[in-house]
Amino acid sequence: MLEFNDVTKIFNSDLLKKPFIALDKVSFEIKPGEVIGFLGANGAGKTTSIKMAMDFIRPSSGQISYHADLGRDKVDAFKRIGYLPERPFFYPHITGREFCHYMGSLSEVSRKSIIEQIQYWGPRLKIDFALDRVIKSYSKGMLQRIGFLATLLHRPKLIILDEPLSGLDPIGRKELKDIITQVNKKGVTVFFSSHIISDVEEVCSEVIFLEKGKLVFNGEVQKIINEHLKMESIVRYIKEGKVLTHKVADNEKRNFIESLIKNNFELVSVTPEKPTLEEIFYKVKSS
Amino acid sequence: MMYLNKIAIIAYYTFREIIKSRVLLNTLILGLVLLFTTYVALSFTYGSPERVTLDFGMGMLSLSSVGIAIFMGVGLLSKEIESRTAYMIISRPVKRSAFILGKLLGLGSILTLNIFILSSFTLFLYFFVGGEFQPLILWTILFTILESLLVLFIVALFSLLSGQAISVIMTIGLYVSGHAIHSAKEALADKSIVLNTLLEAYHYILPGFYKLNIKDFLLYQKELPYMYLLNIFTYGVIYSVALILLSVIIFERKNLD
Repeated sequence: MLEFNDVTKIFNSDLLKKPFIALDKVSFEIKPGEVIGFLGANGAGKTTSIKMAMDFIRPSSGQISYHADLGRDKVDAFKRIGYLPERPFFYPHITGREFCHYMGSLSEVSRKSIIEQIQYWGPRLKIDFALDRVIKSYSKGMLQRIGFLATLLHRPKLIILDEPLSGLDPIGRKELKDIITQVNKKGVTVFFSSHIISDVEEVCSEVIFLEKGKLVFNGEVQKIINEHLKMESIVRYIKEGKVLTHKVADNEKRNFIESLIKNNFELVSVTPEKPTLEEIFYKVKSS
Repeated sequence: MMYLNKIAIIAYYTFREIIKSRVLLNTLILGLVLLFTTYVALSFTYGSPERVTLDFGMGMLSLSSVGIAIFMGVGLLSKEIESRTAYMIISRPVKRSAFILGKLLGLGSILTLNIFILSSFTLFLYFFVGGEFQPLILWTILFTILESLLVLFIVALFSLLSGQAISVIMTIGLYVSGHAIHSAKEALADKSIVLNTLLEAYHYILPGFYKLNIKDFLLYQKELPYMYLLNIFTYGVIYSVALILLSVIIFERKNLD
């Protein structure tokens, strides 16, 4: 849907200072139908990449191209892309509903369809109660929700979200993650940046790691986890009526299980221990 | 057609956003202050109260509308970029040129409405004290609109190139020199060839705001040829179009970070 090909971005902010390389020959592809997490610490180059994907800033070298499915040119492709910026700030004196009509009409959506979409997504995003309030009275979470609603108004094929979960409380984050999954099930490709790895692990099928402007990893979440499986297993067994767990190295697993059986303990389960995406991220980062 | 439609949508919501921010309430207060100060000024003068009303009213109208143009125009584009509201629009199927044209059209409409409201206060008092209608009144109001639009386009252009404070200072500088250039040219033309050439060059390149000031003709009820007025109007329109085009070209190439 969207492809980065050797993209580099250099900022020359000051004549006397060394140019800052925000992105260094980064290449990746966003495949249709996936939920792709864009990971990296603050300053890794995530927002810069997204700004370039949305044509707010231009790459110093390399190419960013949209799949033909999205449109003939940039403006045409933007009819099928939904975007939510980091820390969104909208026009403070208009109401949430007016804002949705504004965004919808710019995306060439009919008034009827805008109303339908507001009716559908408003309650799901739990923002329907505040649609007739002026935006300046919205909390950070409400801004995120109205922004997300505006992102979905034109039934996009691809949505690009820059830190959509930041600033939300745990319940809000859970609700938004559920919506992301729900939207994806409807066939929408979701590309979202985050520095909270557990959120990405929970929702994403693919992940792209950036570190100091360089691509560290790009691939399926499950594949990464399988590649970094620990050589350990969790053994659960019953001893004197209590369920106990024990972590054993794989080369000692057989002996341990045999000793359990020999001592007439009941074996409940043996599960290979999987690392979290966060553990892998730090491991890859440090290596 | 869709392109024009999107300019109209952006202009409409820009207009709506500013209206809802209670700017017009400030205009009404300003209008009342204008009315009051003109009335006070009248009580200190003898004879020709209608001339004093027009002089004071139109002068204040011009200054206040230029002030509003600078104050609102400087943040029109730069604030949109800083607060990322521009991202929400440019991430839609909207060309950057449509965005900037819509914003300018929206704010331009607010300025025009402001001038209509403020001038109606002045004209109310003018007719109240016995003034008679002259066609030049309408031309003066039209040129005030054109002048404030020119100031708006200048400050918006500067705000794309530099910070807000510098943009305001440069715009005020251009406004003042644009009014003074004609007198300066007449007074200093014979002093030095270099100075004369510089003033001549300035005269052709930078905005000649003095051309739009026809208040003296209005006050002393002098006639101005229709063609002369039309030429000034054309000058203002062409200059505005050039400024808008320049802003569009810069905005198309600008990194919005």
